Amino acid sequence: MIELRGIVKSFGRPVLRDITMHVPAGCLYGLIGPGASGKSVLLKIVTGLMRPDAGSVHIDGRDVLSMTDLELQEFRKRIGMLFQNNALFDFMTVAENIAFPLRRLFDLPEPEIRERVAERLACVSLPGFEGRMPSGLSGGQKKRVGVARATVIQAPIVLYDEPAAGLDPVTSQKIFDLLRAEQQASGATVLMVSSDLDRMLTVTDRVGMMYKGRLIFDGTTAEAYASDDPFVHQFVHGIPEGPL
Amino acid sequence: MSPSSSSTLTPFAALGGFFLSTAENVGGMGGMLGRIVTRLVRLNFDASELLRNLYKMGVKSLPIVVVTALFTGGIMVIQAAPIVQRYGAQGLLGWGAGFGTLREIGPLLTALMISGRVGANNTAELGTMVVTEQIDALRALAIDPINFLIVPRFIGIVTTLFLSTVFADVLALGGAAYAGYGILGVEPAVFYNGLTSGLLGLGDVFHGLIKSVVFGVVIALASCQFGIATSGGAPGVGRAVNATVVVSAAGIFVLDYLVSFAIG
Repeated sequence: MIELRGIVKSFGRPVLRDITMHVPAGCLYGLIGPGASGKSVLLKIVTGLMRPDAGSVHIDGRDVLSMTDLELQEFRKRIGMLFQNNALFDFMTVAENIAFPLRRLFDLPEPEIRERVAERLACVSLPGFEGRMPSGLSGGQKKRVGVARATVIQAPIVLYDEPAAGLDPVTSQKIFDLLRAEQQASGATVLMVSSDLDRMLTVTDRVGMMYKGRLIFDGTTAEAYASDDPFVHQFVHGIPEGPL
Repeated sequence: MSPSSSSTLTPFAALGGFFLSTAENVGGMGGMLGRIVTRLVRLNFDASELLRNLYKMGVKSLPIVVVTALFTGGIMVIQAAPIVQRYGAQGLLGWGAGFGTLREIGPLLTALMISGRVGANNTAELGTMVVTEQIDALRALAIDPINFLIVPRFIGIVTTLFLSTVFADVLALGGAAYAGYGILGVEPAVFYNGLTSGLLGLGDVFHGLIKSVVFGVVIALASCQFGIATSGGAPGVGRAVNATVVVSAAGIFVLDYLVSFAIG
């Protein structure tokens, strides 16, 4: 469970304004909103990579902001994250990137690590890419490797920042289906940011919409589709005319 | 504010900005050194990253060190040639080349080469990792970037510069001996005798090697600090590399003076 209360963050200008949000345990929560509405910043605050100016973050009942550096480091072993820019380590091969958290955080035998890497690569439709370097991959392939790395440790909390950016519609839908299947199999709590609404909303349980640093909607996916809030209605249905 | 008072304040504002920025950089490097030392004391760093960096920084720098050192020795002889010929002081050529090379030119030029090749590259790599969120990804994976990235690079740069200086000293003296024979007709045996006649001692060798370690620390701290503090995307990486080269070079010359003054 992820619980945010009164989160405020400013970089000279306000980016997050009094965000209060609740992601129930085992829920796949989609965070939507126009560009520069603070979604990625919110994800970084949840992982403790960024500190808010005010507010509190509780994950599974633990106060993330009051943790010491060592406690936070230990706690992050329970979190998987895909970054907007993929953040693949460019001096490592694809296999080394995916195996990195397994080698670093867990004491697993090498054959098992190799097996899990191969299984992850098969899941994201990149079998045989183990020896490739990130610089030799297309944008979509990098994204899929990022997804493989974020899911390889089967963390109970997973955060995805634009998991389908740069992917064609078919691969994008496959990725969302994969993330949903993973989430259902593991029971993980997932917070996902994506601009690919049509496909993301096919897999989410709940949706929050951010606009200019505020959470202006929080409800089930069906409620988001049915919302008569002019901002939510325009955004979810992709209508050019409206208040946005 | 009137235009005249504004123009009066501008140089002061620039000067204040310069001091603030210098204080920020020196403070940042001091903080970085503190974090590195705490990890070094606990031997808390990544050994495989250290090996990778030693290879990348040390072994791959060898060609440029070889070229620089050989020609440095030759240049020393060319500069000394008129005096040596005028006074017939061929026997002192080895001492002259050795004194200048071991105490000053060897460590200084090697440091400047390593700063340009390794320091700038280190900042560019770290800066790129910052702007592409790779550092955040390390933190998100519960891995301390100081242990994993910074300490191995710090050790790698200091070790590389120390060993490169030893290597460069030997090669520069070889180059000087060769140039002395080719330009002045000084036999290698005469050059060697001048070098080992007692005017030069181990103290002169250590003088240069101590400097190489100090220069290595400066280059490592500057390149790591500016790299890890990069902001502002690709232009920010460029600015960080530029700052590393400038601060490293300035730091090398200032500390060269201070170390020469301190240890004689």
